[in-house]
Amino acid sequence: MHDLLPFLPGSLNNVFDSIPYFMPEIYLAALFILVLVTDLLFGSNSEKLCRIIACAGMVLVLFKDIDQAHLLLVNGQGNGHFIFSEMLLITHTAINFKLVIDVLSLVLLLYFAWDDRLAAHSKGLSDLYSIVTGTVFGLHLMTMAVNLLSIYLAIEMVSIGSYLMVAYRSESAFGTEAGLKYVLFGAASSAIMLYGMSLLYGFGGSLYLFSGNLVPGLSQVNPMAVSFALVLVLAGIGFKLSFVPMHFWVPDVYEGASTPVTAWLSTLPKIAGFALLINFLTPFIFFAKWTSFDFRLFLSVIGIITMIVGNFAAVLQTNVKRMLAYSSIGHTGFALMAIVTFTSTGLSALTYYLAVYGLANIGALALATYFANVAGADDVESYRGLGLKYPVASVCFVIVLVSLTGLPVTAGFTGKVFVFSAVYGVYQQGHNLWLLLLMITGALTTVISLFYYIKIPLYLFLKRSEIAENHIGRSNKIIILAISISFLLVLLGIFPDLLLKHL
Amino acid sequence: MNILTLLIFTPILFGIIVAVLPSAWRDSFKYITLLATLVQLGLSVWIYCNFKTGADFGGVNHEGQFQFVQKLPWIDLDMGAMGKMQIEYFVGIDGLSIALLVMTSFVLVIAALASWEIKSNLKGFFVLFLILDMAVIGVFCSLDFFLFYIFYELMLLPLYFLIGMWGGARREYAAIKFFLYTLFGSVFMLLVMIGLYLSVKDPATGNHTYNMVQMMNPANYQAGSVFSALSHQTIFGFPARAVGFIVLFIAFAIKVPVVPLHTWLPDAHVEAPTPVSIILAGILLKVGGYGIIRVCLSIFPDIASADAYWLGLLGVISILYGAMNALAQKDLKRMIAYSSVSHMGFVLLGIASQTTEGISGAVMQMVSHGFLSTMLFFLAGVVYNRVHDRGIGHFRGLASIMPQYTAFVMIAFFASLGLPGFSAFIGEAFSLMGAFKSHSVNGLLPYWMAVCGSLGILLGAAYFLWTLQRMFFGQVHLKGGSVWETALTDLNFREKITLVPLALMVLALGLMPSLVFDKVNDSVLALVQFFQHTI
Repeated sequence: MHDLLPFLPGSLNNVFDSIPYFMPEIYLAALFILVLVTDLLFGSNSEKLCRIIACAGMVLVLFKDIDQAHLLLVNGQGNGHFIFSEMLLITHTAINFKLVIDVLSLVLLLYFAWDDRLAAHSKGLSDLYSIVTGTVFGLHLMTMAVNLLSIYLAIEMVSIGSYLMVAYRSESAFGTEAGLKYVLFGAASSAIMLYGMSLLYGFGGSLYLFSGNLVPGLSQVNPMAVSFALVLVLAGIGFKLSFVPMHFWVPDVYEGASTPVTAWLSTLPKIAGFALLINFLTPFIFFAKWTSFDFRLFLSVIGIITMIVGNFAAVLQTNVKRMLAYSSIGHTGFALMAIVTFTSTGLSALTYYLAVYGLANIGALALATYFANVAGADDVESYRGLGLKYPVASVCFVIVLVSLTGLPVTAGFTGKVFVFSAVYGVYQQGHNLWLLLLMITGALTTVISLFYYIKIPLYLFLKRSEIAENHIGRSNKIIILAISISFLLVLLGIFPDLLLKHL
Repeated sequence: MNILTLLIFTPILFGIIVAVLPSAWRDSFKYITLLATLVQLGLSVWIYCNFKTGADFGGVNHEGQFQFVQKLPWIDLDMGAMGKMQIEYFVGIDGLSIALLVMTSFVLVIAALASWEIKSNLKGFFVLFLILDMAVIGVFCSLDFFLFYIFYELMLLPLYFLIGMWGGARREYAAIKFFLYTLFGSVFMLLVMIGLYLSVKDPATGNHTYNMVQMMNPANYQAGSVFSALSHQTIFGFPARAVGFIVLFIAFAIKVPVVPLHTWLPDAHVEAPTPVSIILAGILLKVGGYGIIRVCLSIFPDIASADAYWLGLLGVISILYGAMNALAQKDLKRMIAYSSVSHMGFVLLGIASQTTEGISGAVMQMVSHGFLSTMLFFLAGVVYNRVHDRGIGHFRGLASIMPQYTAFVMIAFFASLGLPGFSAFIGEAFSLMGAFKSHSVNGLLPYWMAVCGSLGILLGAAYFLWTLQRMFFGQVHLKGGSVWETALTDLNFREKITLVPLALMVLALGLMPSLVFDKVNDSVLALVQFFQHTI
């Protein structure tokens, strides 16, 4: 103990200096406790109150994110700033990812209560709001973590929250199965990742990705062994990103969970996972003597397989949520394409692509909720003829799906163009065959994705139904949400620089 | 306000009006749409009259020679290491676009008139119609590749719904087939487009640019870039420029359509409702032909010359294969659809010859086919609306119960089979002249291609006259018996005012081809000169 004394003031100072940079997360933690306490104090009547507090708090956190960006700018730390003795790294990219995450979670917080099936939960949704705010805290950490320990903690924090959310409403056997499956797969993959991390620590002798001796140390070790350890860690991250072959949990869990929870799972942990992947890869990419493991090759192959598997499997699906689950796997593959550029252009293209994807996917699932609410429809088959009955929602659905496919004039198209441009730019310099193959696969799978996305408009508008569907309920709020999302997607399709110039 | 911008976005303004009007006013939607297309026609006629000709207005690869230009920065992004992203709203026309633009506006009016037959879901139909209208006009005016691509893709979704919701029995199949086919071509076009963008730098600003006119200048290509002619890059072992050309060509060839990429066309044309068939045959096929001239040939002239033989061959195959298929058809609309394949083959043959005559002929043939296919599909729609049957064998002796209708059919058929005095004759004759001349001028096409092309005209005469004989002459004998006979009333007023201007246009262009050639000629000369410079 006495040996450590001289270091204590320095460490403490570091912690105190870090706090101003940590404001969004502190606010999030406070928000989590506040929502939790509100829930406890007001009991079963607290649902509305919790929701209002959570949403208001999230808006506040958004502003704090922007403050954080200003703080970096003012202090001239454009390249990033380490806090808490290099546990976390705040960069411009990380803040962008946090902004995307916070905006999307705000949308989701609004959306949770609009799903009739989830809202019918006997305990109410108050607990869900506190879980969400807690998990967003974990997502924030994921975007900044640069130490093997903090990486693991952040991922686990998100995982535990997600386990709870998936199993939140499980009156059907299928839902329960989904919840259990998710926990088992999640636990197994985090164990694998932990094993990989311990190997890395053993080989490199350090937990710090950027400083210390980790990467130089690893480059001295037998490439096979290091590759093995890295693959294990990537498998753990891949569970969050749901790339092939770590995707097998996705369809069942997405189908079994409540629709808003699916919207959560398919967007936020994935986006944070990409931020984490960037953090994890950066030190290896910028270490000039790194030859042990070809990340570009590995991720390119994974990306190509993921695009193909996700999109082809989606063609066969008839359940809307399951189809969107497979399509989200395909999108992961496409986003991996932006990662392998390892350039700043690639990163801003990736952020843009993911933000747009997140928005569109939440829109698609919100509309799936809408049709489940008003017509009890889960299968594309039961969408038959609903387009003429609910024209506004159906037109929004078409716009959202067009954006997911990546056709003009929607944000999905501009996202695709930016990713392709970034990859092409790198290809032009090095003529790496894998990049070319990635682009060709990306283009080809766009056509395939059209084939299944168009199924929904096909059943909504083209197929006619003779039976008059019984009208179950109304969901005007979802309509408003869907209109806003569609409007945003078209707006960004015409003026992508509104968003992209900030990234 | 730039007149081209006005021309492009007028329909969408009317579309918004239709979208917000309550459904109780649904009877007014068709009039609003008709008004929109008439306004557009007025604007394009004004443009036509004010279009300046002369060697200084050739256009093609000289940015300053385009007319009615509007150029605004659109997406201006600082991309860090990759410089600034420069995407412009850049519209302008030269001789290659003006004739197609006027023809398109004209055909759209006819299509709006043909929409009277649509009875269900009017709001959706007319909103989609007007979006499609905006997209096709936009394609012919854009000079920025990104803008061009957006309009090009924007056509797909409205068409999918127009075919799929208001089409015939197999509409779902036809709609998705059309959509997948075209999208398959255009996603790869997107890759080439981005490749071109990253290869070309605007000399004025030093940024990468999507400006198509800049892409035509070999000096603007960065050294070592993928599509630079000097750097001889390869993709999978093939020369990169050849790959780029082929990908773009396939994308447009699907639209034209060129055999063997034509299989979507009979399905889509047959299943689509009359107004949509009219737009498909009259306008969308021309988008393919226009794209080949404006994009494929102008950006990759070196490859176009090297591969001219294959382009010509595909043209000849389309002419003959389309004509023979048309001979075999039992459905009137299908017969017309295959005749389109055959007629568009002349366009490709003319383009491949790379002579002044050939390219002028190709443009003329596109304009002429625009009017003629519109007329043919409208006429097919007349019978179909009355008895819901289009089997050629199901009718006989129509001439005696529908004399006026038969008169128009005869005009349309004779004009289409290339009777002198009508526009198709000029178009086909010039295309073939170009193909004949090509051997002696630039040696790109052998004589036999022109000979085989001429054979196509003969086959065209065969299927049109045979159909005429089977359906219209002889004793009255209808599959539906007396029910059909009462249903088959002669043309009404609306149909007549639709057909008369079309017939007049076809005749006018046949007698005074200078209406088109005067405007087109300078650009064609500029294009041919451009070819000679680059080879």
